[in-house]
Amino acid sequence: MSLLTIERVVSGYADMEVLHGVDLAVDVGEIVTIIGPNGAGKSTLMKTIFGLLKPKAGRITFDDTDITGRSPDRVVRRGLAYVPQVENVFPSLTIQENLEMGAFILRGNLRDRLRRVYELFPVLGVRQKARVGKMSGGERQMVAMGRALMLDPRLLMLDEPSAALAPNLTATIFDRIAAINEAGVTILIVEQNAKESLKLSDRGCVFAAGLKCFEDSGPALLANEDIGRLYLGG
Amino acid sequence: MDALARIPQLLVYGIVSGSILSLGGIGVSLTYRILGFSNFAHGDTMALGAYLTLALLPVAARLGIPGGALSPLSFGWDFAASLLLAIAATSLAIALLDRLFFRRLRNANRVTLMISTIGIALALRNLLQFIWGPQPHYYSTAIQRAVLIPRLGIRIKPDQIFIVAIAVALALLLHLFLRYTKMGKAMRATSDNTSLARVTGIDTERVILWTWVIGASLAAIAGVLTGLENKFITPELGWQMLLSIFAAVILGGIGNPYGAIVGGLVVGISEEVSTAFISTGYKPAVAFAILILMLLIRPTGLLGRRR
Repeated sequence: MSLLTIERVVSGYADMEVLHGVDLAVDVGEIVTIIGPNGAGKSTLMKTIFGLLKPKAGRITFDDTDITGRSPDRVVRRGLAYVPQVENVFPSLTIQENLEMGAFILRGNLRDRLRRVYELFPVLGVRQKARVGKMSGGERQMVAMGRALMLDPRLLMLDEPSAALAPNLTATIFDRIAAINEAGVTILIVEQNAKESLKLSDRGCVFAAGLKCFEDSGPALLANEDIGRLYLGG
Repeated sequence: MDALARIPQLLVYGIVSGSILSLGGIGVSLTYRILGFSNFAHGDTMALGAYLTLALLPVAARLGIPGGALSPLSFGWDFAASLLLAIAATSLAIALLDRLFFRRLRNANRVTLMISTIGIALALRNLLQFIWGPQPHYYSTAIQRAVLIPRLGIRIKPDQIFIVAIAVALALLLHLFLRYTKMGKAMRATSDNTSLARVTGIDTERVILWTWVIGASLAAIAGVLTGLENKFITPELGWQMLLSIFAAVILGGIGNPYGAIVGGLVVGISEEVSTAFISTGYKPAVAFAILILMLLIRPTGLLGRRR
């Protein structure tokens, strides 16, 4: 069953169209990775799904509800969560406060939700009161993912989760992504260096020039020589 | 008297006026941080609060709140009650201004917003002058005797002790609010990164409303305290203090409410202590000098963060 459906979406910025009619479907329980070069429109697609950019045409449905052009706070309430590529934490807040903000729309006790995030990222659990501003890229990425998980989203969207991370941290992050998926969360990832991500993925989509030009299973894309040469660095 | 011998007394005056500047500065700093523009109408918001307190005194009396000064202070329960009513009324007025004007300009650039606050400032000040006239109004005509504190050789009026105490209490309250309440944390989060706050599901419009209400409440209190200290209020009351307030805010690091508190005290004390050495007429020049020095040496302010 399709959880997120994108149909013929045209979007971009005031004076520049970036997406020229993209189709994409993400099924319940899947991990889908979008790969493609810089400027192909991967982040633009994420922002458009999340209501930070209004699409000029097309339709976005989530769980059979039309969310085209809805504002971010309404999209959040539907069960989508989004981790931007950069500036994805509140630096002057502590780890715990960042996570609490993730659950802003909820009332009541957050203890169980916090505990689950700390179980997933034990590194965060031991430094709950530390400010995020001075932390490393890897720790920030964990805080950002933890924040997004506070609402128990049905779909988690990650924009380049491994960008600028050391290789050993990249492995940790992808290991955690697999764990989150096993817990029942559908995941949509955008990656530029996508080998690690495709290994995990049920499906991969190749974006170029604002259009989706190719789609296959993760392992098949990894095995595809053309894709490897063009997008995965040989 | 020898200039140096006057310094302890001037320090007292400086702490009193600095406390008021701090309260005014907090609002300027919060609006700058969360809405992203300098609010030149903040001084006139202070004057609005001061006049509304005057206007609401009869209402407080009708509510059956007893008048008569609470000795040794120069005012009574009716005054305190009308201040509370004025805080609510000022907040409401400013929230309404946000709805009517600033909300339409959320995505406008900073210059547009800054100029529109100058427009609001002029409108507010002239409205006050239209209703109450340009002549001063008095909260109380009674003369209050300063208390001599023997060992330190300084004199201080009970009202001045009250002013400092209120400022300290409010600064503490603000700290607890920002640190421990959900809305306080959401305000800090929004000021860190507004678009991430929206993506996170934080109701940024509610955060903005709270920002205005806190700023307007503190401004109203600062306006009334100015009236208590000066003994009279005029429509120009807040506008005249705006330069000092901006100097304080920039000194402390614009966008940082704690910086505004520190900056307010430094500017207040500098202005008063300077009168031991130079003419009182140069007080605004002292604020200006601090402002310019700070912009040259450390534009991010004492407690500001580097970008």
